[in-house]
Amino acid sequence: MRRWRSLVAAGAAAATIAGLTFGGAAAQTPSPSGSAAGKLTFTIGDDNDLDSMNPFVAVEAPAFQIFFLTYDFLVNLSQEDLSPSPGLAESWDQSDDGLTWTFQIRDDATWHDGEPVTAHDVEYTYNRIIEEEQGSFIDYISLIDTIEVPDEQTVVITTKEPTLQLLTALVFILPEHIWKDISTEEAGTFENNPPVGSGPFKVVEWEKGQFYRMESVPEYWGGAPRIDEFVYRIFNNEDALVQSLRAGEVDFADSLNANPFNSLKETTGITTHEANIPSFDEIGFNVGANDTIPDADGHPALLDVRVRQAMAHAIDKQVILDRVLQGYGTIGTTIVPPFSAAYHYEPTEEELFEFDLEEANRILDEAGYEDTDGDDVREMPDGGQPLMFRYFVRSENNSTVQTSQFVQDWFNQIGIATEVEALDDTTLTDAIFEGKYDMFHWGWFPDPDPDFILSIFTCGQRPPDGIWSDSFYCDEEYDRMYQEQKTVADVAERAQVIFEMQRQVYEDAPYIVLYYDANLQAYRSDRWTGFLTQPEPDGDLLSGYGNYTFVNLRPVTKAAAADEEEGGSAFTWVWVGLVAGPLLLVAVALLIRRRKGEEDRA
Amino acid sequence: MGARRYLTAKVVQALFTLAFVLVFNFFLFRILPGNPAQILARQRRLPVEAVRELERDFGLKDPLPQQFVNYAGDTLRGNFGISFKFRRPVGEVIQGRIWPTVLLVGVATIGSTVIGLLIGIYGAWRRGSGFDMGSLGFSLVTYAMPEFWLGMILLILFASTSGLELFPLGNIRTPGGAASGIAHLLDVGMHLFLPALTLILALLGEYALIMRSSLLDVMGDDYIVTARAKGLREAQVLRRHAVPNALLPTVTLVALNLGFVVSGAITVETVFSWPGLGLLTVEALQAPDYPLLQGLFLLFSVAVIVANLIADLIYGYLDPRVRVA
Repeated sequence: MRRWRSLVAAGAAAATIAGLTFGGAAAQTPSPSGSAAGKLTFTIGDDNDLDSMNPFVAVEAPAFQIFFLTYDFLVNLSQEDLSPSPGLAESWDQSDDGLTWTFQIRDDATWHDGEPVTAHDVEYTYNRIIEEEQGSFIDYISLIDTIEVPDEQTVVITTKEPTLQLLTALVFILPEHIWKDISTEEAGTFENNPPVGSGPFKVVEWEKGQFYRMESVPEYWGGAPRIDEFVYRIFNNEDALVQSLRAGEVDFADSLNANPFNSLKETTGITTHEANIPSFDEIGFNVGANDTIPDADGHPALLDVRVRQAMAHAIDKQVILDRVLQGYGTIGTTIVPPFSAAYHYEPTEEELFEFDLEEANRILDEAGYEDTDGDDVREMPDGGQPLMFRYFVRSENNSTVQTSQFVQDWFNQIGIATEVEALDDTTLTDAIFEGKYDMFHWGWFPDPDPDFILSIFTCGQRPPDGIWSDSFYCDEEYDRMYQEQKTVADVAERAQVIFEMQRQVYEDAPYIVLYYDANLQAYRSDRWTGFLTQPEPDGDLLSGYGNYTFVNLRPVTKAAAADEEEGGSAFTWVWVGLVAGPLLLVAVALLIRRRKGEEDRA
Repeated sequence: MGARRYLTAKVVQALFTLAFVLVFNFFLFRILPGNPAQILARQRRLPVEAVRELERDFGLKDPLPQQFVNYAGDTLRGNFGISFKFRRPVGEVIQGRIWPTVLLVGVATIGSTVIGLLIGIYGAWRRGSGFDMGSLGFSLVTYAMPEFWLGMILLILFASTSGLELFPLGNIRTPGGAASGIAHLLDVGMHLFLPALTLILALLGEYALIMRSSLLDVMGDDYIVTARAKGLREAQVLRRHAVPNALLPTVTLVALNLGFVVSGAITVETVFSWPGLGLLTVEALQAPDYPLLQGLFLLFSVAVIVANLIADLIYGYLDPRVRVA
């Protein structure tokens, strides 16, 4: 017995020493992540797999990363502020009546297989989307009436109404000579591997579930990329991703959680970035599902705008931002995120629902919701149903669960009881579609152009005939403004209409927008430079809506790299403990075993 | 004669189980919440007409019995439907991910069986020795460790910058590296080492424990005494008389485990980003991709049934008494 105990002790000691040594040995100078000899490779690690390389099918972000690098838009979103900038169209003109647009297609763009890009490709892509009603794209070009191609470099498009839609259309232009052979039926399962595009990179390898690899196209009309290769690697384990960034297996880690992000903050050679993205989380209310669904069962109190406004006063968004998101993001107000700077409306001081529980109580008292039976929960003005709301959160998203604990507590203080239930997204979607809910916590990732996010509050979007409304909000004036903003062909004028729409939704409070979250990114600044955030100054480092970063990215000079040195590791002690733990367990197991053996013998 | 009857009975039994699984699988996915077409539409921003079209495509509006007949027929023909997420035939999607799992599970099974049995045999033979005590403790501890946790520890120890940096941190091969030849094999081997080691450690404890106790059981039997009395050397007694009999329960366990290991590698595959069926299952669950899940469940069930059948057959081969009974 003594022999074993000492051995275990020695083992633990050895592990400790080893931990110290290896921790120290890990401090090495960085080497490039490029694997193939002599190639300059930029590697991204992320947790999301790719679904398809067919733009008519794919929905996952990594697929769109491919599309942004493989294809071009007719009109790009500029890197600085997302305003329209030359894409495949080097210039454009709008007729005086606002209905006819003439695009000049650049003559130096070629497809990856050597064919020239012409006006016919644009015509073909748009026509096909309109004819087949391709879901992800049709909304962008729904107002197109006719498309004509007077010559190879000119596209003339007329619209049913004056609109700016064509300048913000996120439609990838596809090569006619490839796609004309793919029938409508085939398009649903067409692999499109590798995709033939006109962008600065082309896919050379796709290992499903693991990575894809893209090679630069030196002939790209926007200039040859300075890197040879771009690799996207999938890590299903975020800790491994963070370790890979430290070890230099990857150069960039995208969409990190707050904890691993924090752990990378102090690391020399690694720079962290909170990217401003168009994303928000909201608490949504059932404000009238009964109008379209007879057997919907939303709480009647939620039809009263005063109740919703009282609840808006009863949520301290700063606390949620600090405690749930660890401070990453900004406080939410209106439904167009600040990312779309030209269109985002920030409520004035008088309009703002400040966190004020007394005010919330006052509003409810005044509206006649009083606690008549002394259970600290208010009842409807007629003295009947108590203000007890079903509050659905997402089991797939822990932030929504954490938020509910705060919200529930605040609501209790204004005499509103909530019954929190975590549902998976499927069940939640169903509940909303059937109008069988009171309130829920979910989020959106809208386009840079606000048209889509504005559309979800129009009457036509309410289920069962519509699909996007999850609050059943419906207002004639709002609908009128929605149609108007579609057809105002001047940015400033359109913004005025959109401001008013946001103001109205904010005041009517079918949604309480909690926060605009950020995309947490980290990269090896000891190796790479040339990131172009879109928009400036704090947008996505990888240019969320374009290829700017990938074309501009380059390694830092060798001299600069040599100065950098990797920091020591706080991890050392963690894993020393982790090694010592099991060894301790072995020791205990042995002790128990040994004692039992002695009893047996006795 | 007896052998053939035994074989037929076992195969028929397996086929019945398979039929049951087929039926169960169908209903399992019909009682899950949510209208798949609606979920799909929400992700893809489809207009309502397109949703209705999807419902028709997937046959979601047909009466249930009709759906079942279609499902059974399609499954028997090897048509498992189109994956919601990948928009490719389910069979094809699964096929692309089956080899990494077979490789990982195969290596792990062979490794853990060989090492586990040897430890068990040696431990039982030298019962009460330092080796026996040590290996017993070791087996108990590794058996009790959650796989994903063990995997994380190994990852930090052997791959991270705070550790030895000997192995890559995930995936099955280096992007852009050689896709064939010796270099490719070496590359895959480096990536395989840690996940395989994790699974081996997680599995071998159980095998060692079972082998040890079953051998201890056998070694008390009279015929072992007889064998010793015949004047056989200890090693001969062990190899010819004790081990073959003691192997029975262990072999069954290994074979049974094989069926579960295919699906059980989910956590290890996640920790090491190993692109096998386990990861595919996780992805399918997240989507949720019902046709793909249905295909995977069927595959896992079949794996367990086949593993059971193999266990039965091996048992019959190893122990003639089973065949007669």
